[in-house]
Amino acid sequence: MYLALREMRRAKTRFGLLVSAVGLLVFLILTQQALQDGLITSFVGAIRQQSAPVLVYSTDGQKTLQGSVIPPPLEEVIRAVDGVGAAGRIGQGTFTVLVEGDGATSDAAVIGAEDAGLGGVRDIDEGRPAEAPGEAVGSAADFSVGDRVRIVPVGVREGEGPELEVVGVVAEGQLQVTPTLFTSYADYEAAARAANPDAAGILPNVIGLRPAGDTTAAELAEAVNATSEDAEALTREQAATETPGVGQVRQSFQVIFLLYGLVIPLVTGLFFLIVTFQKSASLTLLRAVGVESGTLVRSLLVQVVVVVGGGLLIGTALHWPLSQQTVGAIVLRFDPVAVAVWSLLLLALGLLSALVAARRVLRIDPIEATTGGGGR
Amino acid sequence: MKLALRELRRRPNRFAVAGAILTLIALLLMFLGGLLDGLERGSTGALRLQDADAIVFAEGAEASLVRSRIGEDVRSAVATVVGEEGVGGLGSVQLGARLDGRGPRDLVPTVLLGYELAPRGLPAEPPAAGEVVADASLRREGVEEGSVLRLGPARSEVRVIGFVDDSQYAGQGSLWGSLETWREVLAANRPGARAGEGTVQALVVRAPEGEGAGLTDAVDEATGGATDSYTITEAIDALPGLSQQRSVFNQIIGVTIVIAIVVVALFFALLTVERTGLYGVLKALGASSGTVFAGVVLQAVVVTAGAVAIGIAAALALDAVIPAGSIPFTITPPRLVTSALSLLVAAVVGCAFSLRRVLRIDPAAAIGGAQ
Repeated sequence: MYLALREMRRAKTRFGLLVSAVGLLVFLILTQQALQDGLITSFVGAIRQQSAPVLVYSTDGQKTLQGSVIPPPLEEVIRAVDGVGAAGRIGQGTFTVLVEGDGATSDAAVIGAEDAGLGGVRDIDEGRPAEAPGEAVGSAADFSVGDRVRIVPVGVREGEGPELEVVGVVAEGQLQVTPTLFTSYADYEAAARAANPDAAGILPNVIGLRPAGDTTAAELAEAVNATSEDAEALTREQAATETPGVGQVRQSFQVIFLLYGLVIPLVTGLFFLIVTFQKSASLTLLRAVGVESGTLVRSLLVQVVVVVGGGLLIGTALHWPLSQQTVGAIVLRFDPVAVAVWSLLLLALGLLSALVAARRVLRIDPIEATTGGGGR
Repeated sequence: MKLALRELRRRPNRFAVAGAILTLIALLLMFLGGLLDGLERGSTGALRLQDADAIVFAEGAEASLVRSRIGEDVRSAVATVVGEEGVGGLGSVQLGARLDGRGPRDLVPTVLLGYELAPRGLPAEPPAAGEVVADASLRREGVEEGSVLRLGPARSEVRVIGFVDDSQYAGQGSLWGSLETWREVLAANRPGARAGEGTVQALVVRAPEGEGAGLTDAVDEATGGATDSYTITEAIDALPGLSQQRSVFNQIIGVTIVIAIVVVALFFALLTVERTGLYGVLKALGASSGTVFAGVVLQAVVVTAGAVAIGIAAALALDAVIPAGSIPFTITPPRLVTSALSLLVAAVVGCAFSLRRVLRIDPAAAIGGAQ
């Protein structure tokens, strides 16, 4: 052990470069993990936070809130399905808004629910639920309790949009990476009409359902799908995970993680293999004077643990300040579970990668110290 | 130099693992770049295709077609700057399309765009009502010339009369028709987003030859601030999230190149340590430090070039096997060239870490002078 650490102290540049490489790779992996999680949460957080156990889209909507429109005949069919305990309209639109006190306009997704228990927010993080007309719950990353948000009717001469007061906020409540407001269906309708005076009628985007009696959300979704090919019913979790784009984001990041995950053990393994080659004469001599193979392998593994551990520390330290930032509208966060999982995985891969070097150490024949073979 | 190449030929295994690592890094760079290009290509095609000098949105629309509404009065004001013939309306609506032969829930994601001033590759006169030109990417979904697509919940029928390349928008295959077709389909399927007669989402503006400079300011001034005008490049950059996406990807690519530098530095520093004696002998025989270091650089460049070649082949293979509509991955020659050059530069920079060690080698030590 003593020799292992002493060798590292003596060859600071070599080991320093390796630790830096591992640290940078760990930093990239953790940051991309945070980006992936933040992106998906910003994409579909509002769907996870809303209260309806089942969301029914029109098939044409292809599982997106903004793409789905429920015409009245389809709404009737959905409400009449066996197992429906309660049904409520949910509307969604993205509007240009002006937050009181802000100099410039910005975007906001407004989600309006006919029944707050079917499309409103499940758990408020600060403040209270929206109860009266003109009240809303906002995504915590973008709004504060007390904010007054006016809908700006873009391109409408002398148009005046309704104002919403933020009375509560919910963490991880964004939709489509946009600041989000949860309000009543009537307020959503008013916003939509103000934004487009040409509107022929404001139809709900989805219908929120609560199952009756012992019916589960999954069973109710199946029943709705069996009733009409024009309806696409999904449980809350399905609606979040099957939103177009979420799967693509996951797949893309998985390929990236796989490649980075392969680079770390390869770099570590190559380094220790070369180092073992270079000091084979010294290792042979140590064996000749009675040092056990196990001791030498343990020294090697200690170095691997120190290098990968050092890299993990550096990578995590670099990642920490970045994880407190917001990239555009994507809120990053430090996820200790992700850090722990990656640390264990990379440590295991690092140790695994040192097996080739360890095998070489175990093959050293002490007799070669007397023939000079150890130097080869 | 010869010695360096001979060593590479004689002992390729020594460089194999470093080559494998660099291959993975090359593939990573190309994959990250390909993802970025794929995402950008899929969301900006309809704008890049515009044969115009500016796109005019309603003030406050944040360059979003869906939120922008421009009436006839604003259009007339814009026409005072470039003339009636230089102004064309543009409208969009994203809808699922039903196609014969596909299941009732298996819809093709499309975006219908109505136009007046033809983008590149589209007929100067917009197709007749109910007819559209489709983006070539829709061929992969089974759309052919003559196919009838039934759009949205109202099943509005449009017939495909031709194809145009690279015109995707918001990640979906585009359908280009007249403003009349767009207005009709929009009203039937999205009553809440209906556009009144004469209302469009944006205006495409072509300035007379040589008068493009300052056009956006002139248009916004003519409309009394009722519009936000962008050049085509500005409109692309203003697409929600695009510039942030580009910046994040470029940062990740940058750090990956730094990792490549560190890996090359590490590997060749180790090799240099191992060959200190040999380099001492070479120096004692008259080789200069420059020659010795050039050999190290040459080896790094050759190993990296090999890694880049395999990385390119792997990226092309990946491009071929990734199913359409899954990961938005696009391989382009400029991206491959940029990635290859970045890695080769990284290899040379990484080798520079070994330069000091090469310079410090004392030829006298090699022939026993140090004893």
